[in-house]
Amino acid sequence: MTVLKRLLRTPEGLAGTIMLCLLALAALLAPIIFPSDPLSIAGPALLPPFTDAAFPLGTDRLGRDVLAGLVHGARASLAVGIAAAAVAVIVGALVGTIAGFAGGLVDEALMRIVDAFQIVPSFLLALAFVSVTGASLTVVIIAIALGAWTGPARLARAEVLSIRERDYVAAARVIGMHPLEIALRQVLPHALPPVLALSSVIVASAVLIEAALSFLGLGDPNIVTWGSMIAEGRNVLRSAPFLSIIPGFGLVVTVLGVYLFSEGLSDAISARKTTN
Amino acid sequence: MASTAMPSLLMAQEAANGGRLIVASDSEPRNLNPAIVASNGVFFISSKVIEPLAEASFEGENGLEPRLAISWEGSDDGLSATFKLREGVTWHDGTPFTSADVAFSALEVWKPLQNLGRLVFENLEAVETPDDHTAIFKFSKPTPFQLIRNALPVVSSVVARHVFEGEADIAASPANNRLVGTGPFKFTEHRPGEYYRLERNEDYWAEGLPKVDEIIFRVLPDRAAAAGALEADEIQLAAFSQVPLTDLERISKVEGIKVYSKGYEGLTYQLAVDVNHRRKELADRKVRQAIAHAIDKDFVVKTIFLGYAAPSTGIIPKNAPEFYTADVPTYDFDLDKANALLDEAGYAKDANGIRFKLRLLPAPYFTETRQFGDYLRQALSSVGIDATVVNNDSAAHQKAVYTDHDFDLAVAPTVYRNDPAISTTILVKSGTPAGVPFSNQGGYVNPRIDQLIEKANETMDVAERTELFKEFQRLVAEDLPLINVAEWGFITVARDDVRNVSNNPRWAVSNWADIALTP
Repeated sequence: MTVLKRLLRTPEGLAGTIMLCLLALAALLAPIIFPSDPLSIAGPALLPPFTDAAFPLGTDRLGRDVLAGLVHGARASLAVGIAAAAVAVIVGALVGTIAGFAGGLVDEALMRIVDAFQIVPSFLLALAFVSVTGASLTVVIIAIALGAWTGPARLARAEVLSIRERDYVAAARVIGMHPLEIALRQVLPHALPPVLALSSVIVASAVLIEAALSFLGLGDPNIVTWGSMIAEGRNVLRSAPFLSIIPGFGLVVTVLGVYLFSEGLSDAISARKTTN
Repeated sequence: MASTAMPSLLMAQEAANGGRLIVASDSEPRNLNPAIVASNGVFFISSKVIEPLAEASFEGENGLEPRLAISWEGSDDGLSATFKLREGVTWHDGTPFTSADVAFSALEVWKPLQNLGRLVFENLEAVETPDDHTAIFKFSKPTPFQLIRNALPVVSSVVARHVFEGEADIAASPANNRLVGTGPFKFTEHRPGEYYRLERNEDYWAEGLPKVDEIIFRVLPDRAAAAGALEADEIQLAAFSQVPLTDLERISKVEGIKVYSKGYEGLTYQLAVDVNHRRKELADRKVRQAIAHAIDKDFVVKTIFLGYAAPSTGIIPKNAPEFYTADVPTYDFDLDKANALLDEAGYAKDANGIRFKLRLLPAPYFTETRQFGDYLRQALSSVGIDATVVNNDSAAHQKAVYTDHDFDLAVAPTVYRNDPAISTTILVKSGTPAGVPFSNQGGYVNPRIDQLIEKANETMDVAERTELFKEFQRLVAEDLPLINVAEWGFITVARDDVRNVSNNPRWAVSNWADIALTP
């Protein structure tokens, strides 16, 4: 509770939390506010924003409601961001813990695999993966996680290396606990907090990578995403710039919100540590 | 920067003649030889260098005007065609042009190597050259002269025998990218990723032509960039709708810029829905008719093409008056009828309102084909067909649709080229091997249509052959092996000091001898 209070007391934490809450609300309520398919053609094409009460943010080239697209796009962006970050953190933390705890050859082997993944820029990796396997939401999530799990893995390993020398780990060993049980039940939970702090950064970069993939036409064409909206709007950039600006604004708010939130969170956590 | 400042200087010095014309080009074809690759991307650049026997024309007899041939005549039995060739023509390297060049092009290049010539000259057996300026084409089976004539502008680009003779593999020859022709411009330079430079041919056979000293094709792959470059006067001309349709309204109001929608009548693009007849649901004619009823062609024309297109009634476009007939079954936009037809076919809606699912592959070549894919998905969902859009790049799309048949519906931009036998009948004829792009790869077999095509290929009488193709249109419209939605030409945008723009039906891919710059 104190962490949350501290989080809300810092200006960045407060701003980030509000932004994320609004986004989450939009994403959760999207199917209720706009029950029909956001890709359906709802009105006249290229209606400018703020001219028709039925379409507050206007319509695109085919007459699709931009506001509906924006709200449903928030859903896709957050879903991809959170899912990719979850996959990356889970896989990364597991691999890092095992490597750090087992040491020796296992550590060497796992860390060289991590190196191999880290050499390839994560966006290129995602690009290659999606173009080979074909675009769908799951594939995009896996593709992004593929480039993001190495950060958590390294961080978890570093934490585990120090934790495994602690007394209670030695005690667990003495009472004959299975090494895997020690790694997962005694070590991992204590190595997790810094890894979780990293996860908000992963969410932000996952949202951006997803948008970039959609922009290049490699996203799932059957759902609305902000990246695909920007790509669509690019064709009419000179005559209807709002079509690219509005979803772009959505991206800015999301990424900024996530960063502010994580900034505030880490302040709150470190503040608690110093007062303790 | 220097290259953009120079033309204005030149233009100021010379009034009606001379000057440098800078044109936007959106692609750099791998093989630039129009005798081998008869496609618009290649013609756009190469047609200024290498000329055909005859070119399309708004006024000429049978829609043609002479180029390297001055007259042409087919025999009544369809077994020979005689071309009288222009005298006093030389190749860009100074060698005289003779009938031997035509014979070589026809037998060694057009017939064995060219994408369209393979069909048109299928039965070409020999080319006799009684003198230097006569070429007589001999066919083993009767070939309608109407077809040969209509195909001349596209299939008959003449290349120099002395350049290619003795080459083991003409298709892979380096000379395909260092063109030597008889045209008004000489091919001088290609800098990959930057430009092509063509220089005035001082010895061109037509008096007083060409008008401009130089044509530069500046490579601008980004379509949005062409409009900006035109406004900044960095380029003077953008053809093939390089300026996006959505920008036309704005740019037409800019001082000093003109928009032309003429000049593409001889190369009509058609927006069609390819159907995979291997899918049980789609093999049912009622389902195909229902899909046709579910598409609002007016919406497609007005919203996707912004009015720069016309709704189709069938497989032959309206601006092919020689063959077109409006007397075919048509499918109005009518959702009730579409739903009724689907119910009748036995595909009732389930609890979620879905009759069946299918996969839709829009061709990635044009913004409009991709947007139509998005629209079609919505149109299908309004009658209970749940379509999943699958986006691919060009190579993967061609493989999926035309080789692997891994699609249910595909959006295809097909091209009508002056005669249905050139690139249109192949869209519905059975028996084309897998891998041939823009052909019937949907597994459609209709013996009546096959017979009709076969008969038209053997019919010498022009009126009778034309009538057969009208019957062909009726059959196709009735059975709907593919669904034609709209047909469109392209738009040219030019600075208004560029003269003689859009003055023939294949203007963008013609020789531009008369194009001029006025100060």
